[in-house]
Amino acid sequence: MEREFYELGELEPKAVKLFGISTGTKLDEMFWKVERKGDRFIKKPLGGIPFLSVINITGLPDSGKSVLAEQFAVVQASRDYKILFVTVESPANFLYTSMKAKAEYLGLDFSKVLKNIIVIDASMNDEFRENPKALMDTMAYVIREKHTNNVIIDSITGLYEHKEVMARQIVRVFFNFLKKWKQTGIFISQKRSAQIAESAEAAGGLAVAHIVDGTIVLDKKLITTRWDSNMYRMPVGSVLRTIRIDGCRLTGHDSRTWIFEITPRGTINIISPLEEYISKRAGGSSVE
Amino acid sequence: MSDEKEKMEVISSPISTADVDHLAERVFQECINMLGGLRRLTYYRNLTWLPSLAEAAYAVVLKGELFKTNREIAKELGISEQTVKNILQADEKEVERFIMGEVEKVDEHKAGGIAKLAYKRVKKEKGIFIKEEELDVLGIAWALIVLVRLKGADFPLDREELKTRLKGTTIKGVPAEEIIEKMKFPVKSPAEVLRQIRELTE
Repeated sequence: MEREFYELGELEPKAVKLFGISTGTKLDEMFWKVERKGDRFIKKPLGGIPFLSVINITGLPDSGKSVLAEQFAVVQASRDYKILFVTVESPANFLYTSMKAKAEYLGLDFSKVLKNIIVIDASMNDEFRENPKALMDTMAYVIREKHTNNVIIDSITGLYEHKEVMARQIVRVFFNFLKKWKQTGIFISQKRSAQIAESAEAAGGLAVAHIVDGTIVLDKKLITTRWDSNMYRMPVGSVLRTIRIDGCRLTGHDSRTWIFEITPRGTINIISPLEEYISKRAGGSSVE
Repeated sequence: MSDEKEKMEVISSPISTADVDHLAERVFQECINMLGGLRRLTYYRNLTWLPSLAEAAYAVVLKGELFKTNREIAKELGISEQTVKNILQADEKEVERFIMGEVEKVDEHKAGGIAKLAYKRVKKEKGIFIKEEELDVLGIAWALIVLVRLKGADFPLDREELKTRLKGTTIKGVPAEEIIEKMKFPVKSPAEVLRQIRELTE
């Protein structure tokens, strides 16, 4: 029978090792752990999102959430780690095309990507979206039979789209599910129009952010004024994309807002912290 | 479609679906058990409680298993949202009083409380539901037949009583009477009947 309490020392053998699962972006250097070296403490990049964490990626429409999740999947699969990708928004054949382009652009072996990614297409089947138990049973089957290490749900919002009042319960059961099956997870969650773009808030309020281990917020800003144009040194009409780790309860992280771009082949390229980006641009005169 | 495309493994329908109907039936059955059994309900002319209990059992299962909203549950069961709310907000402690006989009528509040308690009990059982053909594949269908025939028997059981109950059945190709002849009596429980039969037919 499962015990209901432990002395802290008894948990040592069960403690989760702290290391990173690469996303194939600069995010890998933005999570860190602190190690003791002699009498000094030094920050050491984790190399990815924390192992066995469940991270929420939120942002406005077309801010790059799915691009980031797909890049993570492709990078992990190319390293021979198995991925379970639950697509709730985009039908599986679109996912195929998008992942192929990413793998080619990043110079990754697409045959490995094909071999190591298992897709549950919940976009076309109501049963998956309306019946969390059916989806979890299917996910459990894939995890057990295919020995997956990572799970991506794009998007978790799609599982409570018409009943946001149930967001907390649904997110909680999927979070617990991933913990039980020892998976590193990524949940994509959508924002509603009334929500502040740069906050961790998403559909269902702060439910997702409160439950998961960490939240990454993606945002985009349309340059519409001369003021913005001067500050960012970008022409009016262009788009400035930002990414920020809003929080992570498992490890230390960079809390600055970073600038990124989505490359023409659909990958994420994180460039620099916003403050450095502005000061560099202010120093030079080049405008792209 | 390229060859590569065919290699990408896509699962487009659920491997299994949660059997809500079966679970609701089990919860309903547990509700009846908690109230002392169907016979007791009949005895006290309380069979009119059954519709409320059935609704409550379904409501609790739809909420707990499928995370349905009150509105969805109301629509599915053909009852009002307020009734669903009453069921799901029912106080389980009050039910204890009811079961002790301190309260005499079942309304949706009490039915909800009973169903919530019953749902917890059923979930705690950790039992599994095996279909008849699956039992056949496992080679244990005979055990189910024996248990069905033993239902309501007063243990310990003697040889003649067991013969009467298992009359006409065949276990692993052997007539039950032949196996019963070799068994030791009296048998104290259904588990002992199954154990002896298993040992004699291995």
